Amino acid sequence: MNKRGTKGLNSLFFIALTVVIFGFFYYLYSFKPLIILYLPFLLQGTVATIIISLVSIVLATLLGFGGALGRLSSYVPIRWLATLYVEVIRGTPVLVQLLIWYYGFGNLLSSLGFNPYTIAFQLMTVLQNNSLVPDSFNGFFYGVIGLSFNYGAYLTEVFRSGIESVPRGQSEAALSLGFTPWHTLRRIVLPQAIRLTIPPFTNYFITLIQDSALLSTFAITELEQQTYALAFPQVDANKKLFVFVYGALFYLIICYPLSLLARYLERRMARG
Amino acid sequence: MNLTHQDFLAFLGGARDTLIYCAVSFPLALFLGLILALMSGSHLLWLKTPARIFIEVMRSTPMLTQLFLLYYGVGAVLVSFNLAQYDNAWVAGITSLALNYAAYEAEIFRAGMLSVDYGQIEAALSLGFTKRQSFLRIVLPQAIPLMIPPFVNDFIYMLKDSSVVSIISGTELTAVLSAWVSHHGSNPFAGYALAIVLYLLLSLPTSYLARLLEQRLRANL
Repeated sequence: MNKRGTKGLNSLFFIALTVVIFGFFYYLYSFKPLIILYLPFLLQGTVATIIISLVSIVLATLLGFGGALGRLSSYVPIRWLATLYVEVIRGTPVLVQLLIWYYGFGNLLSSLGFNPYTIAFQLMTVLQNNSLVPDSFNGFFYGVIGLSFNYGAYLTEVFRSGIESVPRGQSEAALSLGFTPWHTLRRIVLPQAIRLTIPPFTNYFITLIQDSALLSTFAITELEQQTYALAFPQVDANKKLFVFVYGALFYLIICYPLSLLARYLERRMARG
Repeated sequence: MNLTHQDFLAFLGGARDTLIYCAVSFPLALFLGLILALMSGSHLLWLKTPARIFIEVMRSTPMLTQLFLLYYGVGAVLVSFNLAQYDNAWVAGITSLALNYAAYEAEIFRAGMLSVDYGQIEAALSLGFTKRQSFLRIVLPQAIPLMIPPFVNDFIYMLKDSSVVSIISGTELTAVLSAWVSHHGSNPFAGYALAIVLYLLLSLPTSYLARLLEQRLRANL
């Protein structure tokens, strides 16, 4: 095709794109009463999703850092333990892990007298805020633990490859200059390793947010559960479909900017 | 140990269904991914923009959301058009696995093709190769070994992600596990251990095979 033809097609394309975008907004607009009615519920779910994700990523980072040190440790049992952790977690679905944490360990521990909900409730009673503890606190607790352990394994590999990317000669030089091993790690290795780990870390954070939707199977009122609960009673098929689209838009609004950030960071790191 | 022979067979059947889900969805995802990659590499906005929008939306929403949207949302619309026989877990599960993974495979195809130095295509063209020949004979043979490890990785991810189908009453390994646990709630850990072992048996040999294949393909270059 010649150049002028392409140009004409392109300008036609922008017209078509505008029409499609307006069409989509009209589709949303035609469900205006539903949008206004359901917005507070979905916003509440979004807040829950964000809180779950933030708490989980912090715990997962700690676990991942510990795991990476374990895999690089010179003690064989520790190294094996860390490798076993990573391989088992990465070889099994996160949904199965969550079921094991919530139904398996949750029921086992509660039969042994450990109930996170009661403990949180009593703690908050002392602070006179026990109404803040949700009824499904056990689900939150084991869900966050399950997500943290799962992503801890993936981050272990991220941190390990980051630490290994720093040439061995540098830590040898630091040690021979009289740095302690801890100082070598903190002052020499980590500052260089972190640069490499930031882009994959951001990507795993995005998948963590998406996987937190699986907590809806424990009836935790996060975004997916709220969407499902609002959509399920709809009799009209079009309204039902719309509520699912509406819920998906919230995930899109959270995750898309993050993935843009991840790509920007990747490009910056690639430039050095 | 409260696992009977029958339970064991049920778990194996679940593992078989997990494999069926993936064996059907993954080729579909590869095919769609190749089309998406070619579209998003095109200069024509008509092809490029829809592919980019599809990829970004798929990668920015959870698999579970897409599955619910297809199974309950689109399913309800299908029923209203008298197409209720297509509203089942197999169709919804395979469709959403294929569409979701197509977006990720497209990125792998694109990265693989971009990894071949453009100078090589120029050299091939100047030696009289046609465009198609230079793509099939020069670019692809070098790009494929680079793409195989991420493909196999994604296949393993799919083996694990197919567990989500159990939430919409699909009958794969996780669904068998959940059903078994609901009968043996007092001591479910034998079932959990069996499910973990089966998932590991599915995923670890695959990743070993991938490493082997990668080495051989690299040696052939």
